[in-house]
Amino acid sequence: MTIGWYLAVSAIVFALGAVGVMTRRNPLVVLLCLELMLNGANLALIAFSRMWGNGDGQIFVLVVMTVAACEVCVGLGMIVAIYRRKLPVDVDELRELQG
Amino acid sequence: MSATTYGWLVLLFPLLGTIVGAFGFRAFKGRSAGWFATLAIFLSFLAGIGALIALQKHGVHHRQLVSSLWNYASTAGIDAQMSILVDPLSIFMILTVSGVSTLIHLYSISYMDGDEGFNRYFVYLNFFVFSMLLLVLAGNFLLLIVGWAFVGAASYLLISFWYRRTTATKAGIKAFVINVLGDVGLVLGTYFIFKHTGTLDLLKSFHAATNPAHPAFGHSPNDGDLVAGCVLLLVGAFAKSAQIPLHTWLPDAMEGPTPVSSLIHAATMVTAGVYLIARMHPLFELAPAAEDVGAVVGAATLLIAGTIGLAQTDIKRVIAYSTMSQIGYMIMGVSVGAYAAGLFHLMTHAFFKALLFMGAGSIIGAMGGEQSLDKMGGFRKSMPFTYGCFIIGGLALSGVPPFSGFFSKDEILLVTGERGGWHWALYVVGYIGAAFTAIYTFRMIFRAFHGDPVPEARELEEGHLHHGEPVNPATGEPEDTAVGFPGPKHTIAERALPMRIAMGILALGAVGAGLVQIPKVDFVIDDFLRPSFAGSKLYEPHTESSLLWFGLALGTLIALVGIRVAYLVWVRRPEIADRARRQLRPLYLLFVNKWYFDELIDALIVRPFAAFGAFARDTFEPRVIDETLIGGTTGLVRAGSAAVRAVQSGFVRYYAALLVLGITGVGLYFLLQT
Amino acid sequence: MPPLSILIWIPAVSGLLGALLASVRPRPPAEEPAGGERRSWSVPGFTALVGALVAFGLSIGYIADFHSSGPSLQHVTDVMWISTLGIHYKLAVTGLNVFLVAMTTLLFAVAILASNVRSGTPAPERPRLFYFQFMLAESAVLGAFLAQDLALFVAFFDLMLIPFYFLIGGWGRGPDKVKATIKLVIYTLVGSLLMLAAAIATGVLVAQHTGGHLDFELSSLGSHGNLHIFGAGAGGGNGSGLSNGAQDWIFLFFAAAFLVKMPAFPLHGWMPDGYRAMPIEVLMVFSGVLSKVGAYGFLAIVLPLFPHAAVHFQTLMLLIALVSIVYGSVQAFSSRDARLVAGYSSVAQLGFVTLGIFALNPQGAQGALLQMVNHGLVVAPVLFIVALLAQRSGGSEDLREMGGIAFRAPVLATLFLIVALATLAMPGSSNFVGEFLILLGVFKAKLAIAIVAFTGVVLASVYALRLFIRAMHNRVGERVESREISFMDGAVIVPLILVILFLGLYPQFALHRSERATSQSVSVAQAYRLLNAGTAIVGCPSPSVRRFEEISCAAGKTNSSEDNGVTSLAPVTGG
Repeated sequence: MTIGWYLAVSAIVFALGAVGVMTRRNPLVVLLCLELMLNGANLALIAFSRMWGNGDGQIFVLVVMTVAACEVCVGLGMIVAIYRRKLPVDVDELRELQG
Repeated sequence: MSATTYGWLVLLFPLLGTIVGAFGFRAFKGRSAGWFATLAIFLSFLAGIGALIALQKHGVHHRQLVSSLWNYASTAGIDAQMSILVDPLSIFMILTVSGVSTLIHLYSISYMDGDEGFNRYFVYLNFFVFSMLLLVLAGNFLLLIVGWAFVGAASYLLISFWYRRTTATKAGIKAFVINVLGDVGLVLGTYFIFKHTGTLDLLKSFHAATNPAHPAFGHSPNDGDLVAGCVLLLVGAFAKSAQIPLHTWLPDAMEGPTPVSSLIHAATMVTAGVYLIARMHPLFELAPAAEDVGAVVGAATLLIAGTIGLAQTDIKRVIAYSTMSQIGYMIMGVSVGAYAAGLFHLMTHAFFKALLFMGAGSIIGAMGGEQSLDKMGGFRKSMPFTYGCFIIGGLALSGVPPFSGFFSKDEILLVTGERGGWHWALYVVGYIGAAFTAIYTFRMIFRAFHGDPVPEARELEEGHLHHGEPVNPATGEPEDTAVGFPGPKHTIAERALPMRIAMGILALGAVGAGLVQIPKVDFVIDDFLRPSFAGSKLYEPHTESSLLWFGLALGTLIALVGIRVAYLVWVRRPEIADRARRQLRPLYLLFVNKWYFDELIDALIVRPFAAFGAFARDTFEPRVIDETLIGGTTGLVRAGSAAVRAVQSGFVRYYAALLVLGITGVGLYFLLQT
Repeated sequence: MPPLSILIWIPAVSGLLGALLASVRPRPPAEEPAGGERRSWSVPGFTALVGALVAFGLSIGYIADFHSSGPSLQHVTDVMWISTLGIHYKLAVTGLNVFLVAMTTLLFAVAILASNVRSGTPAPERPRLFYFQFMLAESAVLGAFLAQDLALFVAFFDLMLIPFYFLIGGWGRGPDKVKATIKLVIYTLVGSLLMLAAAIATGVLVAQHTGGHLDFELSSLGSHGNLHIFGAGAGGGNGSGLSNGAQDWIFLFFAAAFLVKMPAFPLHGWMPDGYRAMPIEVLMVFSGVLSKVGAYGFLAIVLPLFPHAAVHFQTLMLLIALVSIVYGSVQAFSSRDARLVAGYSSVAQLGFVTLGIFALNPQGAQGALLQMVNHGLVVAPVLFIVALLAQRSGGSEDLREMGGIAFRAPVLATLFLIVALATLAMPGSSNFVGEFLILLGVFKAKLAIAIVAFTGVVLASVYALRLFIRAMHNRVGERVESREISFMDGAVIVPLILVILFLGLYPQFALHRSERATSQSVSVAQAYRLLNAGTAIVGCPSPSVRRFEEISCAAGKTNSSEDNGVTSLAPVTGG
């Protein structure tokens, strides 16, 4: 199989994730979609790694997964905190950083 | 012990008195704080005597001793030690200052009895004496300035002692600011002298200026730096010694308790200027132009203050202007080279002026706080002791032989006359001033003690001391008796032993102090001070001249005529005074309004600065700084940020979209490039 | 002594520790304590105080361990931080910063104590964050003072701003606090950015000039000049060797940053609002310490690196200083807000400091350095007392509503009197010695400016006494409640007053240790000034001028001490 198929799947997954981030308002779903984007990128990295036959890309994927795990932790923690403070769980409502 | 050890002790006792008094202000009960403070100053006086004895053991040429404890500030070319200079001049000043101050402390114990601030008062008083002693003992310019400024601060504290009075706090700040002006003169003068001689040490500096081998030695007199320095030192001296035009604080300083006036006028503070010129005489002799400035200002002051004294009605202010006038004599004296005479007059003046103020305090006590001569009269019978003291002080002040003021004043004028040339003008002015002195002194005495007894005097004759409503004599507003005169109690000398002792000793001094230096008979002061003035070309030449006898006779005559005139005008035919006041109205107004110096300074200095301040606060700051500078800057920033801010909508999804768009854009760019 | 990093980071660590140790749950809202009562301590507050005290103890140790005849950099920590950019993490104690560091740690300790125990006020809300920010600020200030690398200095200088931004915005008072915070941040940030640009330019241009690598270390930046000075102490540089034009604009950028921080007229616009908005403890350190970083920057960086520009702009800087003195003093005696009296008096006092620095001679620099320490020691108690007075007059800091509390509060009055007299540079205080030296330096450099500057001395006596009298004397104000100072409030002020008194009795203690450093930092600029004046080339000046300027001709006798810096000059062309 040529690399193109892998990349196509990766792009589709990434695009799905991106569209999700841009359209959904529930922060939980936004996080989910972020994961999707990351995994799309991971897929591309693995594919390239396989193509070149060395492990660099795989190492990078491991790093990305770690970071992703951290990010989910923080993100979920924040969502719980928001929920506890009885703030709306909606990214459009949480816009205090507006200039 | 060596003389310098005694010198340090002289400083130590009042300092300890201040510190212990300040920390234990709640612990001292009753009058104990007063006795404690008096003891501190008396010990200081004893230490002064110890220093005198120790110093006399040294040879005549080795009587200038310097002792230094630690490096105060010696860096970047300046050399200031924590050092004192003990020599006959400083010992002379120590003894005068601490001696008279002891008596004033003693007097205050009774006078201030019952005042809520009794303990605080004595702490300030001790600090005042400490400052003055530091001033006269300082071994270098920096320490001299420290003592100089401490005196100013202490005077501020005591002048605004009854701080509920707005008049007192105003007078205090006025005194302080004018004194700071003098400090500035002193500091700038020090800079010029430092520039010339390269050292801050007094003796080294004199040595550098007068020693031909030293690079600072100026071959021509009136070297620019030296003249500038000396004139600026004179500014300091004028401010502290209340010479024209920096004298306006002195009459206002009468807001303080009467013993404080006595202290300021007799022993400390105003004599500092005289001391300064005498101390700096090696420099002044190299800068004759500065000497002339001092002499002329001294002469002008003695005349102008004399005329103002003629027209004032507040008894303390009359004495205050008399002080100005007498200090004018001293400043003139030390400026023309009559060092010993000027210092001699300083000493005798300390006795009789302290005495007069104490007497005034006693009368004010009898009047229940009232100070106006218009409301006094006829106290002769009810207050015989005070009256006697006043007469002695008055005769000494007027210069009637053989009272002390006679010898000292005439010696100043004699030396002035002997300088010849234009100094004859000063000589004449001095004698005119003497006539004024006799007139205003006895005007005061006659108005207060002679004539019909006022109700207060009658009450006193019946054995009852008058108590009035406590009001501020200057404004008439009711006093806060917690911190305001008159306290719940008044005291007069006739009823308080400490006051009588103090006044009695001073009266003895006022009568007899002149005898230490009678022309042609003895020269105690001259001989004692000679080591301090060893290098002077002008020091007491003792020419045998007919001028001496002429001066003595003229002085006696003028004093007696002045007293006679005062007697005529204010006792025998009071209508003369009214007529004179009407006919010479412009002159009278000039005198009563103190030659309009206050108004002049107000218009020239105070108002412009206040207006500038109000302008800066109300107009410049809001308009220029806030609106133009800040408004302009923030306006720019705001305008710039408005465009950017629109992007910051706060929608996370919007940011995400921007991000995706941006990355896509960058990616496309690179793709298209390759 | 432990390495300097420990001194720098102990405060931040203790702040962090306090935040971690304290309970996470918000405390129940404390009821408003009655006036005069002591408050309970919070864990973060206590930890912060311990950290601040340890830092203070260490800084005292550094003073004790300072060898005034030793090398100019002592207790050096030098680690390569970012090697490609030539940025070092280099810290050292010098004669310039040893007392400023001690003053900083003392003021921070006192301010932390004040925020813990000041009577009649509630504890700061969110104490964990408050004390962490506070201690982070201390670390940043200490870092800025101790940094011996230009980039490191800039980093610390900018780091200072962050905690203060939060402290003022989060714990400030009054309706305008956000506005005031933004004003302050914009002002200082603009200055900081200019300084950043100037610092980078310095590094790059010097590297180009010498053809070597980038290097931001101060001592190596300052050793490329073409002016050789004999007799300057060991370690004395001779400027960055940049062209005159480059020096000029770099100098102006640095000056903008430092003058905003001080603040100097006309860049003081943030000061009135900022002072009014700050909580008093924050203001104590802000006014006492941060303003000194600017002045320190002039002495430690600008003068040694850009001597030519310093001489070129000497008159301008002296005039700015002069206007600051007069304008600040006049504002101080016409302002009705007690806090602003202190604020404008700082403008005037820092004007004196600038004046001393740009006298460009050892006297001025010595005086300026001493005055920096003095001003910090004096302004903090003044501000604290203003806060105490405001408590007693119903919360108002308006002078017209105060008055007359001396009778019931003699101890407070006495403490205030001492501080007020020190503020007006009463002879006998070390402020006077500082001003004496500053004005002597200016007197030598520019006589006319010295004479005008003396009006500042007179005006200082007016505003300081006015403040004292309005608060303490006259009749008791209507809403004024006369109350003596509480024991813990006294514990805040008394240490400062003891230090003021000690330095007043023995200013040589500080002067002695800073002497060599200050004369080194001005020596290059001074040499340029004298070269410009032509005294060194065109024969010998007259003996009195020579002695006064502490120079000697090659043939003439040397009558200046070695420590005074320039003893002989000769222009040498080429790098």
